[in-house]
Amino acid sequence: MQTTLPSGEILYLSVDPEVFGHSIHGEQGYACIQCHTDITEFPHRPLEASTRRDVSLLYYQNCARCHQDKYDATLDSVHQQALENGNEEAALCVDCHGYHDVTDPNEPRSKSPETCERCHSLIYAEYAESVHGSALLGEGNPDVPTCIDCHGVHNVSGPSNPDFHLFSPQICAECHADEELMGKYGISTNVFDSYVSDFHGTTVIFEQQFPGQETNKPVCIDCHGVHNMQKVDQAESQVIQENLLATCQRCHPDASGNFADSWLGHYEPSLENFPAVYLVDLFYSIFIPAVLGFMVLFVFGDATRRLINRRREKKDE
Amino acid sequence: MSNIAEPMNGSPKQAETRKSYLRFSLSERVEHWIFISAFIVLGITGLVQRYSEYDISKWIVSAVGGVENLRWIHHAAAIITMLIVIYHIGAVGYRIYVQRARLTMLPVLNDVVSVYHSALYYLGIRKEPPQQGRYTFEEKVEYWAVVWGTVIMAVTGFMMWNPIATTKILPGQFIPAAKEAHGLEAVLAVLSILIWHMYQVFVKHFNKAMYTGEISEDEMLHIHPLELADIKAGTAKPPVTPEGKAKRRRIYLPIYAIAAAAMLVGVYFFIAFEETAIETIPPAEQAEVFVPFTPTPLPTPPPTPTPPPVTSLTWEGGMGALMEAKCVACHNSSSQLGGLDLSSYESALLGGNSGPAVIPGNPDDSTVIIVQSEGGHPGQFSDDELAQLLEWITDGAPQN
Repeated sequence: MQTTLPSGEILYLSVDPEVFGHSIHGEQGYACIQCHTDITEFPHRPLEASTRRDVSLLYYQNCARCHQDKYDATLDSVHQQALENGNEEAALCVDCHGYHDVTDPNEPRSKSPETCERCHSLIYAEYAESVHGSALLGEGNPDVPTCIDCHGVHNVSGPSNPDFHLFSPQICAECHADEELMGKYGISTNVFDSYVSDFHGTTVIFEQQFPGQETNKPVCIDCHGVHNMQKVDQAESQVIQENLLATCQRCHPDASGNFADSWLGHYEPSLENFPAVYLVDLFYSIFIPAVLGFMVLFVFGDATRRLINRRREKKDE
Repeated sequence: MSNIAEPMNGSPKQAETRKSYLRFSLSERVEHWIFISAFIVLGITGLVQRYSEYDISKWIVSAVGGVENLRWIHHAAAIITMLIVIYHIGAVGYRIYVQRARLTMLPVLNDVVSVYHSALYYLGIRKEPPQQGRYTFEEKVEYWAVVWGTVIMAVTGFMMWNPIATTKILPGQFIPAAKEAHGLEAVLAVLSILIWHMYQVFVKHFNKAMYTGEISEDEMLHIHPLELADIKAGTAKPPVTPEGKAKRRRIYLPIYAIAAAAMLVGVYFFIAFEETAIETIPPAEQAEVFVPFTPTPLPTPPPTPTPPPVTSLTWEGGMGALMEAKCVACHNSSSQLGGLDLSSYESALLGGNSGPAVIPGNPDDSTVIIVQSEGGHPGQFSDDELAQLLEWITDGAPQN
């Protein structure tokens, strides 16, 4: 059973009971009219839709009748913004979850990136090549992030929101500062702290006090890559020694020669790595206590002597 | 600093028992207070960057309107400090060369003896503290610590301000090393001022010389007895003839003017040597965001209901399956749209709000026939299906 919409598109009116029966809603015995709330009488009121897209736009808000919290979250999303700006292609509930065939959105774990791929195919292609995407899609590794782990689920956010970029180091840190998770792969969990103690990270942390502003200081993804981040020892990595200067030059166009070595590379300085920094630290770890120790001793000595003398003078009187 | 305390002008009678001496001239006092102000600003705006994780740091950054403003203030205070250093070099040079002042701030072997004797005095081994001159070893420690610190801060500050230029000559790791030295030297400087200088000028006894410029005869006797003796003996100041002084001034001032100009150029280079980073937002990932599959696959594949063939005109023989395929999606046992459930033979006979759906032998009054004959119902039967249904009901709508 089908009807032809004014746009000339065909709208199927039949629902395969098999498909609906195996959907989450079918399995739990929900009825058609619980979503199709406009079907209250017979004959039905005429459908006020001239395109297939209109039908989705007419119905998707009905999801909120049961899933109000999820719907409310979408109101802060990039998709809602696009919709409000007149882009009717922007994803609605049903575009990601399906219509009559709604199933668990997280089963399997690769379902989420493959859902996003339907509209963001080029970004998916980059992700699929990345250290994260290749592990998930190639090896079925569930530890790596999918799209929604970074961008959010219903309140999907992206680079159009300055705060997404500004606060993104904390997103990376959710996994990369997790010792249990990183321990499995021998990855340092010091990356966030070492970033924050560096000039760029310190600046970004302070700039987070003033949300809503664009920062031109790099966050993790500015050096490591956005969707195509690679293992740091891969030839394609933006931060491998051979490529690092070029990465620096995106913000420091005049940089040359040794400039890239001024970044500590998340290392804790030691005699092997960045000995000059290590030796400066070592020098001051001796020099500061020595100087202050001398001062404290002489201040203490002088003060004590003065107290003793004063007491003696009083006695003599 | 190498001048000498000058007796204050007084009546001839007071000249016998001078009450006070000029220790610091107005220019020295102004210099000191500007330097202090810059030091405090540098210390605060610098240490909050080193200790960014503390709430007080975040509060201070917020108070000045962001970290960029904070850095601007830090840099401004650094420039003031550099200007003060240029002035100080000129003033010291003037006193030494033109006024032939003694090098009273230079550390000498006797200072080491004074340190040793002080320690013995504190321990009660010596009865008297060491007798010291114009600048005590405590003051020399203070002064030369500031000189050391200022040099370290200027060198490491330049490296951080101009990392691209620095790494053209030096290894890259010298930049983080400079940052580390700059921060740790700041910690040392601030703590030594708090411990040493604050004790010497406020706690030990309140020294007003940097406010009034004056120091009393009693203070001179206790703190700077050797200088007082020199003053009394008239040997504190080297003999200087006005002609000699004027001649030396004519030589000194042009030389200093050239040196100061060179140093000011240095300060300019300090600030503007290089354009370290772009001011704009760096280019981000260039991937096209919205690139849907073409054609966009339909979220639900178009259903192709194919009711099983009708084997006999009974509910079990095919009519039930026909209902299942066309009606039950809405009219099922749980939803019962219109009060109607067509999922079983019994409930079909029972019917819904509009009456029995199926009245055996009476198709004209059976709702299912009435509704379907009008056409346009969601789940519309085909003409063939409707004919079969009509025949089944006419035959008494048997279940088996």
